[in-house]
Amino acid sequence: MRYRMPLRETGRRLRLRRTGWIPPGARVRHYDELGEDAQILVRKLAGRPRTAPEHGDLDDGDFVKFTDYYQVRTR
Amino acid sequence: MSDSYVIVGDGIAGASAAETLREQAPDAEITVLTDEGESLYNRILIKEYAKGKLPEAPISIHQEEWYDEHDVDLRLNTVVVDIDVENDAVHTHEGETFEYDSLLLAIGGTPQQLPVENADADGIHHFWTFQDARRIKESVEGAERAVIVGAGLLGIDFAAICGAQDVEAKYLMRGDCWWRYALSEEGASIMHDAMRERGVEPVFGSGVDHFEVDDDGHVEAAVDPNGERYECDFAGVAIGLNFNTEIVEQTPLETDNGIAVDEYMRTNVDNVFAAGDITTFNDLVLGEQGKNGSWGSAKEQGTIAARNMLDYGSEAFEWVSSYSITHFDFPFLSFGHPTIGDDSVEATTAEGEWRRVALKDGKVVGGVLIGDLSPQSAFKQLMREGRDVSDQTDLLMEPGFSVDDLAATTEQ
Ligand SMILES: Cc1cc2nc3c(=O)[nH]c(=O)nc-3n(C[C@H](O)[C@H](O)[C@H](O)COP(=O)(O)OP(=O)(O)OC[C@H]3O[C@@H](n4cnc5c(N)ncnc54)[C@H](O)[C@@H]3O)c2cc1C
Repeated sequence: MRYRMPLRETGRRLRLRRTGWIPPGARVRHYDELGEDAQILVRKLAGRPRTAPEHGDLDDGDFVKFTDYYQVRTR
Repeated sequence: MSDSYVIVGDGIAGASAAETLREQAPDAEITVLTDEGESLYNRILIKEYAKGKLPEAPISIHQEEWYDEHDVDLRLNTVVVDIDVENDAVHTHEGETFEYDSLLLAIGGTPQQLPVENADADGIHHFWTFQDARRIKESVEGAERAVIVGAGLLGIDFAAICGAQDVEAKYLMRGDCWWRYALSEEGASIMHDAMRERGVEPVFGSGVDHFEVDDDGHVEAAVDPNGERYECDFAGVAIGLNFNTEIVEQTPLETDNGIAVDEYMRTNVDNVFAAGDITTFNDLVLGEQGKNGSWGSAKEQGTIAARNMLDYGSEAFEWVSSYSITHFDFPFLSFGHPTIGDDSVEATTAEGEWRRVALKDGKVVGGVLIGDLSPQSAFKQLMREGRDVSDQTDLLMEPGFSVDDLAATTEQ
C-alpha cells in the first residue's frame, strides 16, 4: 500500500495516449491516487508526444484521469 | 489465540488498514463493518460516473472476493450503533456484537443539508456515496435546468456533471467568488470562465433562502435571499460534512470536530484508533491539530493506523495532502491547508495560470495552483521542512520556482 514504488529498470519507455473511451474492465486511476513521482510524470507526458522511463505506479494499459483520460502505454 | 481487529468503515481509510493488517499479521482475525451495500469503491471517481464518462465497473476497487481471498470478514449493510470501550465490543443495528482486541474507526462524514425550507425535497441531491452518484446521474439525464449550492471542492463536481450532461445550471454562491476562503477573485475568475464555458452560470451574493416544490414534493425552484427565483429540475447541495461522531458520543473517546487522535492515529483509549476524514490529528507538519479531507491522506492514515495497531509508536503520520480538480482543460490543485494562515502571496504567472501560497509565521501552510502544477513538489517540500520563507515570498511566485532558488534559511 505504499505510494512510491521503485522505478523499474527495464529500459521500456512510457507514454500517455489521450482517449475518450474507457472499457468496462479497465483499471482507472485518478491523478490524486498517484504518488508524487507518478503525478510529475503524468503532468509532463499528458497531451504531449513525449516518453519517459517506465514507472512502477503506472502499468501498461492503465487509464489515468487528469485533465482528460489518458491510457498508459509502455514499450 | 490470534489478535482480533475490527474496522468500522470500508472507505479508503478502513480498507487500506485492512490490507496493511493482513500483510503484516497473516494470522489476525480481521472484520470490516460497513453500513454501505457495497465494498470499497473509488469515491473520487464516482463524479466521473455521474458525468457519464465512466462505466460502473472500473470504480470498484475491492470486489467481495477480495475479502474472501484475504480472509477478511466483510459485513455489508451493517450499521455500528454503539461502542463499548470498557468491554472492547461494538454493537450493530441488528443487535450483533463484535468483540475486538483493537478497534479502528474509519467512519468519515455525512453531507450537511441546507438549514432551509424543503431542503430534503425530492430532487435535492447530496453527494458522497456511489448510490448518490447513481441517483444524480439518473436525475441529470432527464434534466434541463439545475441549481448548485456550495462554492467549494465538492460543489464544483456538480457543476462539472451539469456541464458534461448539457444541463444549464445556476451556481448560487454567497460571496463574490468560488471558494473564497482559498482563492482571490483573480484566481477564481479562471474557474468562473471554465464554468461558463460549460453552461454553468455563477451567481454571486446569492445562496438559498428556501426551495419550492411541486405537488409531488419534487423541487422546482430555489429562491435566494434576494428573492430571485431559479427554476430547476434538480439541485445539488455540497456545503460541507458532518463528521460521524454520534457513535462515540456516549463513550470516553475525545472528539474535536471529529475523533481526536495523536500522530499514530490512536485515540485517548489505548486500543481504539481512527483514520481518514473522521480524524482531527496531531499534524506534525503544521505543528498543531489538523484535519484533512482527501483520498491520499485517508489512505495513508489507514495504513499508518494499522501499523500502530500492531506496534504502537512504529510510524507517525506526516503528510502534506493535496486535492485536484480535473474537470477542465487546465489542472487545479490545492495542497496543505490553503484556507488558514496569517499571510499569503499570489500571482498570475502566465495567461490562465495563477497561484496562491498561504503562510503562517513565515512558513508555507498550503496553497492553490491553477494551470501550472509544476511547483507542487517544491511547495510541499517547503511545508515538510518547515522553512521560514518570510523574506523571500516573491520567489515563490516565479515561474519554474524550485526550493534551490531560496537562500539558505534556518530549518525548523
Ligand atoms: C464526490 C466526491 C469527490 C471527491 N473528490 C476527491 C478528489 O478529487 N480528490 C481527493 O483527494 N479527495 C476527493 N474526495 C474526498 C475523498 O473521497 C475522501 O477524503 C476520502 O474518500 C475519505 O475516506 P474515508 O475512508 O476517511 O471516509 P469515507 O470514504 O467516507 O468512508 C467512511 C465509511 O464509513 C461508513 N460508516 C460511517 N459510519 C458508520 C457506522 N456507524 N457503521 C458502519 N459504517 C459506517 C460510511 O458509510 C463510509 O462507507 C471526494 C469525495 C467525494 C464524495
